[in-house]
Amino acid sequence: MPDQTQQEHPYIGANVPIAQAALKATGQMMYTADMKLPHMLHAKVLFSTRPHARIVNIDTTRAEALPGVRAVITHKNTPNRYYNSCGEVLNEFMTEQLFSPVVRYVGDKVAAVAADTEKIAEAALKLIDVTYEDLPVYYDPELALDENAYAIHDHGDLERGNLILTVAQSSGDVDRAMEQADRVFSGVYECPAIHHGAMETHASLAVFDAEGMLTVYTPSQDTFAMRRNLATIFDLPMSKVRVSVPAIGGAFGGKIDLTTEPIAAALAIKTCRPVRLVYNRTEDICSTRNRHAMRLYLRTGVMNDGTIVAEDMRAFVNAGAYASGTTSVVWAMCGRLFKVHRCPNVRFVGYPVITNTTIGGPMRGFGSPQLFFAQQRQMNTISKALGIDMLELQRKNLTTQQGADPRNQQPHGNARPIDCLNRAAERIDYSEACREQLESENARYRIGVGIGVGAHGNGMYGVKADITGLMLKMNCDGTCVLFTPSNEMGNSSVTLQKQMVAETLGMCLSDIDCVEADTRLTPYQLGDYSSRGTFVSGHGALKIATSMQKLLAEVAGRMLEVPAESLRFADRAAIAADGKRVTLEEIVLYSRDHDQKELMCAESFASQAGVMSYGAHIAKVRVDTETGEVKVLSYAAIHDVGKAINPLSVTGQIEGALQMGLGNALSEDMGVDERTGAVKNRTLKRYKMLYAGDMPKELTVEVLDSFEPAGPFGAKSIGECSVVPTLSAIGNAIANAIDAELNSLPITKEKILEAIAKKTENKA
Amino acid sequence: MDTISFMLNGVQTQIEADKNWTLLYVLREVCDLTGTKCGCSTGDCGACKIILDGVAKNACLIKIGALEGRRLETIEGLYCDGKLHPIQQAFIESGAIQCGFCTPGMIISAKALLDANPNPTDDEIIKALSNNLCRCTGYVKIIEAVRMAARLLAE
Repeated sequence: MPDQTQQEHPYIGANVPIAQAALKATGQMMYTADMKLPHMLHAKVLFSTRPHARIVNIDTTRAEALPGVRAVITHKNTPNRYYNSCGEVLNEFMTEQLFSPVVRYVGDKVAAVAADTEKIAEAALKLIDVTYEDLPVYYDPELALDENAYAIHDHGDLERGNLILTVAQSSGDVDRAMEQADRVFSGVYECPAIHHGAMETHASLAVFDAEGMLTVYTPSQDTFAMRRNLATIFDLPMSKVRVSVPAIGGAFGGKIDLTTEPIAAALAIKTCRPVRLVYNRTEDICSTRNRHAMRLYLRTGVMNDGTIVAEDMRAFVNAGAYASGTTSVVWAMCGRLFKVHRCPNVRFVGYPVITNTTIGGPMRGFGSPQLFFAQQRQMNTISKALGIDMLELQRKNLTTQQGADPRNQQPHGNARPIDCLNRAAERIDYSEACREQLESENARYRIGVGIGVGAHGNGMYGVKADITGLMLKMNCDGTCVLFTPSNEMGNSSVTLQKQMVAETLGMCLSDIDCVEADTRLTPYQLGDYSSRGTFVSGHGALKIATSMQKLLAEVAGRMLEVPAESLRFADRAAIAADGKRVTLEEIVLYSRDHDQKELMCAESFASQAGVMSYGAHIAKVRVDTETGEVKVLSYAAIHDVGKAINPLSVTGQIEGALQMGLGNALSEDMGVDERTGAVKNRTLKRYKMLYAGDMPKELTVEVLDSFEPAGPFGAKSIGECSVVPTLSAIGNAIANAIDAELNSLPITKEKILEAIAKKTENKA
Repeated sequence: MDTISFMLNGVQTQIEADKNWTLLYVLREVCDLTGTKCGCSTGDCGACKIILDGVAKNACLIKIGALEGRRLETIEGLYCDGKLHPIQQAFIESGAIQCGFCTPGMIISAKALLDANPNPTDDEIIKALSNNLCRCTGYVKIIEAVRMAARLLAE
């Protein structure tokens, strides 16, 4: 194992462009929708226009008769096995079927067509006649929880009615602490359904060959769970199912669940021809997965000096029409409430509820953005009410490097949210910004400054067996092939694995070829999710490289007649203390020709620590009180990621999180039309993600100089944590600018004008 | 079917297509030029940007019939003789590429800008990218890449 703390490391901490960047820059990168196979058919899906209805009759004869149509599938001619689309809860709450005789949301899958061209398939959809019988509809989880509510599912072992499972955890004595608190604050916080917005929509290309092998090419974050689910649905052994990832054009959690895959597979099996299914943007928004809409009730007990003594949250989580990973998201967000404050008395109760809306699933942050929006917004309210500056209030309550979870005393790791906060305050010139806020309080253009703090985990230690398996083999010129179950979906996780290997074996990055994310070709891993890329899979890459280093050193030691342990690896060679060296090429050839042995390794790495990543953001905004328009003037985002293995990608992750988080805070909202049950904002034009011109011009993105002892070379995660504080930083800045409570996202112009009008009314 | 002739990446090209098909469909499904991506089909994301007579446009909003006699550049035209275009080099080096799906469209918008204005200000860069969405990068490193590309092209 290389010394992870002391030495100079050419690849650790280096700015490394993402692997395969030249393919992406030239258009040569082959995404699923770019693939074509001989004899390939094109698929389209018929989606439900009813929010909840029984299919009384479905007639496909006219569609089947259309020239060029090769298959039409519905619930009548496909397997009816129940499954859970989310690999994290594969065996629980199996509410979904490939096609069901009951549709449960507008956008639910009703039928699918495979045809010679996409245009024929589209025309065939119009020839499918469906007769529906409407059933009771619920869009609000609190209404769907009513004990007299119609149960949307009769399968899946839900707790009761439409409640999937009550998620409850607590520490200390919350009720007593609330009684003893000087003040108790309470509020209700609303977060809408959010579209992941990956630029690549969901797509699959399925092949079912004469050997009975089902191959599905798909942008998947969770190949092994998808294989298991497909094997279950189609009753095939896993040796006859292959899930292979050509590339992923952005995922953000949205490509963990099965969506297009079983449909393309069923059509391939039916036609014995390759079938490609590519969702258009509207289908992607309405019929895949989204971040959960939530309503959060939060109470905080505080002493007059600002010490928080109790936190009590109830979360009503809209799972949408099928269970997916909702319980997993709620468990994850539950845990986070115990990770940021020193307060010993904490209670969380979460209600994930089935309704007749689009399906909530995993998304970047896994419940943390919503949770911390509520908590940090309420902190801001407390700060104002007690007359204690927000910065002071945070410092008084945030956890420290000695911090531990009050439920079980498990340490948070090297927790440094206060250092992040202090640095952010310094970089944005917090006191000057506060002065500007004060000076503009009666002006048309109001300045507001807002602080948001957040945390996120590093993998699934303690929840699941958090494993990444890898293989590595040497080529006879001293280069190598790494077989990794990860895919380079944009967050540089495979790039980071290559850095670990190059560092340990003294190679160049270009010496390492990668086979990625393919159930046939690589070992198992849990999945490319849960912020496990750096902390777990990166550690796995370090482990396998270390094993290979041992093999190489053993051979080189014999060649140089020195102890294997005395060798170091650099410049593509093993180097002895006296400077004598053999190249990697010479070692591999010696092993083959003399020892008659191939140099290869297989390892599995299991995470054994549940450390947290933290970040603090401060936003300065300008609100036009006449139009409600918000401009984010400057923004500081400071994170503690331990050692940044690749600062170029770490800052890139944080900058990208701001595009997502600022959009979520200000404009993004899928919305439900309560008359029809349909998503309101079904195009990118209406679902307003931020363009370059919408981003703050003054932007500071930094990481602390830090080290996490449990991480590879001291590193921990950033991908999800980076988005977590955004909602509250912006929310608090706007609230402070106009001195109003704004607790419902997104904070649009209309909501701002309404809040201003209400204030004026109250004054009058 | 209609016959349409135009200049594609410097080569006079003739294709058979229904004149009402979109340019994006024809590029991807008829010409097998899949470097031009489809992110929305409604002209909102810019993943399908191409350069038509020197101007960056969304291929999803153009009917192929309108291409007759015109000059078209796609992302495939930038990589010649095994050499990356300086804009491509700049995107790679500055970390402007993450998932890569918006990248061809971004590079095309940058090329149309730099062809017309070799030394753009930041505001001009942002304006040139104002119809290109990226969900990964927050645009910071993309803007930096365009600045770097301008420097590389000037050398």
